[in-house]
Amino acid sequence: MLVPNSSFSAEQAAGVFAAADEKVWLEGPAGSGKTSVGVARVLRLLEFGVPAESILIFLPQRSLAQPYLEALRAPSGYHGGQVAIHTLGSLSLRMVETFWFLIAEEAGFKHPQDLPTFLSLEMAQYMMSRVIEPLLDQRDYFHSVRIERARLYSQIVDNMNKAALVGFPISEIGARLKSALAAGPEQAHIFDDAQACAQAFREHCLARNLLDFSLYVEVFKQQIMGLPQARAYLRSRCRHLIVDNVEEDNPASHRFLAHLLETCQSALIICDRDAGFRRFLGADPQNARRLRRFCDVSLELKDSVVMGAEMQALSNALAAQLGAAAEAQQADPRLAIISEAHRYHPQMVDWVADQVSRLIAEEGVAPEQIALLAPFLSDALRFGLAEALDKRGIAARSHRPSRALRDEPAARALLALARIAHPHWRLAPPGMDIAFALMTAIDGLDLVRAALLTEMLYRGGKLHPFADIQSAAMQDRITFELGQRYDALYTWIQRYIDAKQTLALDIFFRRLFGEVLSRVGFGFHRDVDAGNISMNLVDSARGFRWSLEFMSRYDEPVDLGLEYVKMVDRGLIANFYLRDWLADSDGAALIAPAYTFLLSNRAVDYQFWLNIGSDGWSRRLYQPLTHPHVLSLQWPAGAVWTDDDERELDRRTLRSLLLALTRRCRRAVYLGYSELSESGYEGRGLLLETLQAALRRLPREEAHV
Amino acid sequence: MFKPRPKQAEVLKFRRGYMGVAAVPGSGKTATLSYLAARLLAETELSRGQEILIVTLVNAAVANFARQINSYVKDDGFLPGYGYRVRTLHSLAHDIVRQKPTAAGLDDNFTIVDDRESGELLASAIDAWIRRNPEAPDSYLGSEYARKGFYRTQKWSEILLETARSFIGQAKDELLTPAALRRLLERRADELPLAAICAEIYADYDRALAYRGAVDFQDLIRLALTILQNEPDYLAQLRRKWVYILEDEAQDSSRLQESILRLLSGDGGNWLRVGDPNQAIFETFTTADPKYLRDFIADPAVDGRELPNSGRSTHSIQKLANQLIAWSLRHPQPALRARTPLTVPYILPTPPGDPQPNPPDMPEAVQLLGENYSATKEAMLVSASCQRWLSQNPDGTAAILVARNGRGSEIVKFLRQSGVPYVENLNSTSTTRAVVGALARVLGYLADPKSAGKLAEVYRVWRRDEREDAEAAAEIKRVADGLRRIKNVEDLVAPRLSDWLEETLSADDQAELRAQLARFREQVGSWLRAAEMPIDQLTLSVGGDIFRAVSDIATAHMVALHLARLAEAHPLMRLPDFAAELFEIAENKRRFSGLGDDESQFDPDAHRGKVTVTTLHKAKGLEWDRVYLVSVNNYDFPSADPDDSFIGEKWYIRDDLNLSAEALAQLEALREGQDYREGGASLKARIDYAAERLRLLYVGITRARKALTITWNTGRGDAAEATPLLALRTFWEGEREKGAVHEAQR
Repeated sequence: MLVPNSSFSAEQAAGVFAAADEKVWLEGPAGSGKTSVGVARVLRLLEFGVPAESILIFLPQRSLAQPYLEALRAPSGYHGGQVAIHTLGSLSLRMVETFWFLIAEEAGFKHPQDLPTFLSLEMAQYMMSRVIEPLLDQRDYFHSVRIERARLYSQIVDNMNKAALVGFPISEIGARLKSALAAGPEQAHIFDDAQACAQAFREHCLARNLLDFSLYVEVFKQQIMGLPQARAYLRSRCRHLIVDNVEEDNPASHRFLAHLLETCQSALIICDRDAGFRRFLGADPQNARRLRRFCDVSLELKDSVVMGAEMQALSNALAAQLGAAAEAQQADPRLAIISEAHRYHPQMVDWVADQVSRLIAEEGVAPEQIALLAPFLSDALRFGLAEALDKRGIAARSHRPSRALRDEPAARALLALARIAHPHWRLAPPGMDIAFALMTAIDGLDLVRAALLTEMLYRGGKLHPFADIQSAAMQDRITFELGQRYDALYTWIQRYIDAKQTLALDIFFRRLFGEVLSRVGFGFHRDVDAGNISMNLVDSARGFRWSLEFMSRYDEPVDLGLEYVKMVDRGLIANFYLRDWLADSDGAALIAPAYTFLLSNRAVDYQFWLNIGSDGWSRRLYQPLTHPHVLSLQWPAGAVWTDDDERELDRRTLRSLLLALTRRCRRAVYLGYSELSESGYEGRGLLLETLQAALRRLPREEAHV
Repeated sequence: MFKPRPKQAEVLKFRRGYMGVAAVPGSGKTATLSYLAARLLAETELSRGQEILIVTLVNAAVANFARQINSYVKDDGFLPGYGYRVRTLHSLAHDIVRQKPTAAGLDDNFTIVDDRESGELLASAIDAWIRRNPEAPDSYLGSEYARKGFYRTQKWSEILLETARSFIGQAKDELLTPAALRRLLERRADELPLAAICAEIYADYDRALAYRGAVDFQDLIRLALTILQNEPDYLAQLRRKWVYILEDEAQDSSRLQESILRLLSGDGGNWLRVGDPNQAIFETFTTADPKYLRDFIADPAVDGRELPNSGRSTHSIQKLANQLIAWSLRHPQPALRARTPLTVPYILPTPPGDPQPNPPDMPEAVQLLGENYSATKEAMLVSASCQRWLSQNPDGTAAILVARNGRGSEIVKFLRQSGVPYVENLNSTSTTRAVVGALARVLGYLADPKSAGKLAEVYRVWRRDEREDAEAAAEIKRVADGLRRIKNVEDLVAPRLSDWLEETLSADDQAELRAQLARFREQVGSWLRAAEMPIDQLTLSVGGDIFRAVSDIATAHMVALHLARLAEAHPLMRLPDFAAELFEIAENKRRFSGLGDDESQFDPDAHRGKVTVTTLHKAKGLEWDRVYLVSVNNYDFPSADPDDSFIGEKWYIRDDLNLSAEALAQLEALREGQDYREGGASLKARIDYAAERLRLLYVGITRARKALTITWNTGRGDAAEATPLLALRTFWEGEREKGAVHEAQR
């Protein structure tokens, strides 16, 4: 038996054990056990004998698939065919790829007979830079905006994605933003420029069979869904539908789901009542609720199985400060809060680490039951916290999903060696980079000897053999063993140069890794992380090559290796890579941005809210070229975005965030506060104001009602 | 508890409308303002989100204010700082822009470039301009310098940097963008060459900032004002939020600051401004001007008050300061007199029964020396005098006040040579520099790990907490000397075939040292392995290992962020460059403000028995028992006399032109559509500068509690006694004679 009957409440059971032709809407707050119903429902369907291939699990983002994957992979689980798990993006891409030749011409591609190239986000930004950079100077675009180039490109990409997800033509981006936001001609100009750039990019893509996210979603909606063959295919593959976190999905997904709901046999649509955190990615919880009318049964889970009474009181008290109806308090919310004020940021970090250590040592709390959350997690904060915990013997894992590949020693070593191996690029690295590369590449080589080797054997952008060190004493200093390893690396590179057959960069990386660095005596041999990072770099370089190789049919060819390395330097490529999320969280405290924690759908005993003075807790991300609310389905055409809208949004955002966090916390929240933030500024955000107002003047006698 | 004087009580009655207060040095204006804030907090029912906004001049004062207010407010247990916020103009502007960055064309992650970064961007814009315009120096260099390469390149580039910086600052203050300037220039019939040059450089500089998504400090203020002007809803929201605005040091307010605060308070708002127009000493460096405060106080719609009582100094010192005001009101130079560098109120002693009575008078402790000493002789005499006085007054506080950092460093040399105990309060405080220096040494070693000399430095850093102990200090030196002589560093820090520790130190006799160096090796080893981490993480990691004091760790954190920003802006910077950057800061060649300085506004009383060497600008707000005011000559304190020389007028520029002043005048002519006449602005700049220097002298005099010595030197040989010093000396000699006669008669 895959699904035990006894562990569910009556409402949950109604969802799990619904008939195989029933469509169920399931709604409830965080922590009420909705995803457990979803997972059990899948297993129940399989138990019924429903073919795995006819089940589609549809999610707003890939990371939410974890509980489903775990259940399906469990040893006691199902061993038949494959249940499909998709997001709108992954499904669109798959469908466009499958039906390409039937729709390419109609979709406006200039070379419908050629294969398409799908662009990852970083490749879309890179392509955007190629299209727009000349325009910036020629036409003086965006002259009144002060913004880094990479961000400029990403905001234009974002606008196009929003158009596809919300469902308006990209030609309307500028007008929508202008009518809601433009305070004067300067700003109107910016939105005109953003419009022109989006169009130029789209034309560039159509002329070269390039499909960024916005374009393949667009083609999926417009052309694929119009194809009888595609619709028939979808009907057969989506007879049973499980949709989780539908409130985090976008209108395009909702429209697609509405279509499926009309034809599918059974469905379970799960919605979190107070969530909708991915608005900046197009989430539209209001629109999601419209799917309810396609369902036969509506279930509601009410009780949080997570919060204790004090936590519940805190949750209510904070929500009441932010406009929710006040509820009679059953307990003193202050008992769920522990706080201490500090002057400096590092003092706060130390206090947090002390408290974590105390909880573990004195109260026997398991480290994985502790989450350290901040609105943003800078590298410095993440590192500082991890170090402070490490000093107290506490393991921590960080859910900051991305960081620059070029900050990883393994990737830097590969890139530095690639530069030496390709002298025609004329990009010889500085000595310090070579010393570090040698230290990383050669097992046992310390920085002192690496620096000595570099000083003696790296000249004119070239490495020289170990035998070039004339003095025996100096050779002894390096040691024979390390000298041999150096020579092996040197010889490999020299042979590569002498062969005069430049390999594609990803293949170069792969060979260097496989033939030298992963061998015994070299740095990546025992270092799994370095191996993973190398593979990430290989993937990134290969993706770059594949995208551009096709382009050589349409544009002047470029030296792809050289171009890749330059783009990495500029931070346009390999700027972020996803680390493997640690599914197994035993024995380590979590350090994560608050929203990342929320989307991991789990509860903990203790939360630490760091930097409570920061306004990042309540504020949307401000970007001059885009606006998630104005570019949403809910925004009335022609309305002007006012300051009141902004403040109301801040309050709503914070309210739902605090509800979501407290509902995922069993025991207590520690408030990390320092008067001066990391950068030395005094933060006075809405969270601090709300906490002060909710707790400061609460009379003691009201503590227990 | 604060017991207000009658005049302070008048200010404490402020509840509504506009009030302007002219205060004298030592009148307790900050204490009065903090107490007022506490009273308002206690008496006013602020609704949720409402605050009292306190605006002051420097970061150090921010922490001071918060401390004072918190000491008056009864805390009810939760986090402090509820109901008020203390800001400098910069941090206020940051608050305003940060809430609405997109209204200024910025995104959430906009960065603020510091002076160093902004200087570099400007310098590269200037380099590019010079390359495009190689003939330009011909128009401005004096004929004897026009053919000399050194002047055509280096000096020309230096003067352009200075000129463009003033011009861009002013243009930003006037909210003029490069595009607006270009349009104005195109419409202009006559030529304004300096304005044209600077506008072009400004456009380049601005483009470089935009490319990085960055703003400079001045942009921040300009953008804050622009946002307030363009976003009425937002302004209304801020007006509701900040029900009271209390402004300290209002004499240093600029036009922009005044405009921002005026907008924030609004017509029906509550705005109290306190300042001492006689202590406005930031005009030359900024666009500040005391006339804004004076005009405000004089406005009939404003309730004007005075805080004239001060218990800081003896009667004699107060008399001398008041004489400087009186003399300046009859200044022999009509143009300078018309500028009213100093104004009433005169300083009055505290009334009887005041908790801060004036120190007993000692007329003989006020010495104004007329001798024409050389700079060296002056430094020697002052140093010797300090030594004498400190030995007689081991619990006393003393300071040597200088007009320029450079003179401060010269004096420090003499003090060091003579063994006089001293503390520095020059460019950045020595605590910050020590922290940065320690980090620099570790990074410097990691950038050159085979250097034994640098490893020895790291060892000293590693044991920095023990330096105060003489015995430990001797041992540290001995071990460091030993380390410096190591031939193969790797044998100590990363031994493979031979181990220096085992081979050099015997396990029996030197077990303790051996164990200690083994720990050192472990520490260095971990740094060597970490050396490739991103620079901010490396810095944090090293800082966490070597610092104990919280303010030091916090400063290390600031250093880490500073280096991370540099790394982002300059992807090619590597460890040696980062180390070099930190050495520059440590050696005081580059400004950097650590958090430690913030917290501990320099406290003279914490340095009893030592002499403080400080610039006059940094001495503001401070007081010492004994003060030496040195180099009071017509170079540092000119009076617009024909023989005076002016820092703004370079010898290699033709016709004594002050190019910065001329560029600003061209900007004004451009903006107002007025005529421009070359040279007029240079003359006017002399008057402005001389006026500010008179106020600086006034600030210097009023730092002294009991004893004051003023000397002057001949500089490079041609400087003369400053005119105001001569006048004061004549006055004081007369007073002393009168006193002697009076004494004899008695």
